[in-house]
Amino acid sequence: MDPQLTSQIVPIEEIRQIEECLARLVEDTSGNYVLLLDKSGQVIASQGDANRQDITALGALIAGTFASSREVAKLLREKDFRSMFTQGVRDNIFLALVEDQWILCIIFNKGTHIGLVKVLTKKATDALAQVLERVRETHKAREDVLGSSFRTSMEDTIDLLFRD
Amino acid sequence: MALINVATREIHCKVVYYGPGMGGKTSNLQYIHTQVPKEAKGDLLSIATETERTLFFDFLPLDLGTVGPKDRKFQVRFHLYTVPGQVLYERTRTAVLNGADGVVFVADSQKHKMEENLKSLRELANNITKNLGKNFREFPIILQYNKRDLKNVATIEELDRYLNPPAMNLGWQRYPAVAYTGEGVLDTLKAISKLVISKL
Repeated sequence: MDPQLTSQIVPIEEIRQIEECLARLVEDTSGNYVLLLDKSGQVIASQGDANRQDITALGALIAGTFASSREVAKLLREKDFRSMFTQGVRDNIFLALVEDQWILCIIFNKGTHIGLVKVLTKKATDALAQVLERVRETHKAREDVLGSSFRTSMEDTIDLLFRD
Repeated sequence: MALINVATREIHCKVVYYGPGMGGKTSNLQYIHTQVPKEAKGDLLSIATETERTLFFDFLPLDLGTVGPKDRKFQVRFHLYTVPGQVLYERTRTAVLNGADGVVFVADSQKHKMEENLKSLRELANNITKNLGKNFREFPIILQYNKRDLKNVATIEELDRYLNPPAMNLGWQRYPAVAYTGEGVLDTLKAISKLVISKL
């Protein structure tokens, strides 16, 4: 993706495909929860336990650990750490990169074997990489999506909300 | 990079507060957290040492609500982060800066901190160019000259000369502030939010 672009626009059809892919991963692994994040920590889509209230903070922290691991990789002269596994008493977390742009995160419990999670996550990241490729190709001109009146209305909201 | 989700009609933007250690980056977020209405904010999350120095980052999600004309309404969310200012955490700063859409550079106005301000600003320029792969001159940056209430502070003109030199023609907006009392904090936030939105 052109690094000078400031926005990544994910169209409706691509979101549908992403959600389908995440739902399949939850079902096949009996996982509790699956998240797809942008590397900046923003949540693109999620599937599973619908009652989670902490997705935003979870996204920021997970992206933080991944970004931190990238710096560790540089120090070790390793190209990249493509996946990470965190083992808890009750829940485990497995993270995998989708190219260099997105992070797939799956939270699962003791009932699911890590080997199965790894295999199915690999399959899912391959499918998501294709979606990412389409997002890059179909990157629309920003005016199509937002429009100039959006910015004016946004400025008014900012003035109203952030006042002493 | 801002994320525009057309299916859920959401826009997410990431703003990072950068600057030398003990400069008031966390104080900015703490003040914002106290001022913004409850329905527009999430919890302030801090990964700090036992002595309250930032170890990894602080994180404050803000929800600006639904914005835009009828047929193009979007839910707009800003995610505010701070970096740890201490020199030894350079790699951590690089990690937090990943994917940022805009930066508030919080400078310490005290005269003896000028060198630290400059070093931190040079490091930021290097990070934006090399690690984010973006053009530093075009990247949305707002300066905040913090700690204006202290006695031994440089004048605004002096700070401009070093951090925002007219010869460089960067044209950054700058705001004097006293972050722990809140003076200038929301003006800074307004300025960076508008700047980031203008670049979407």
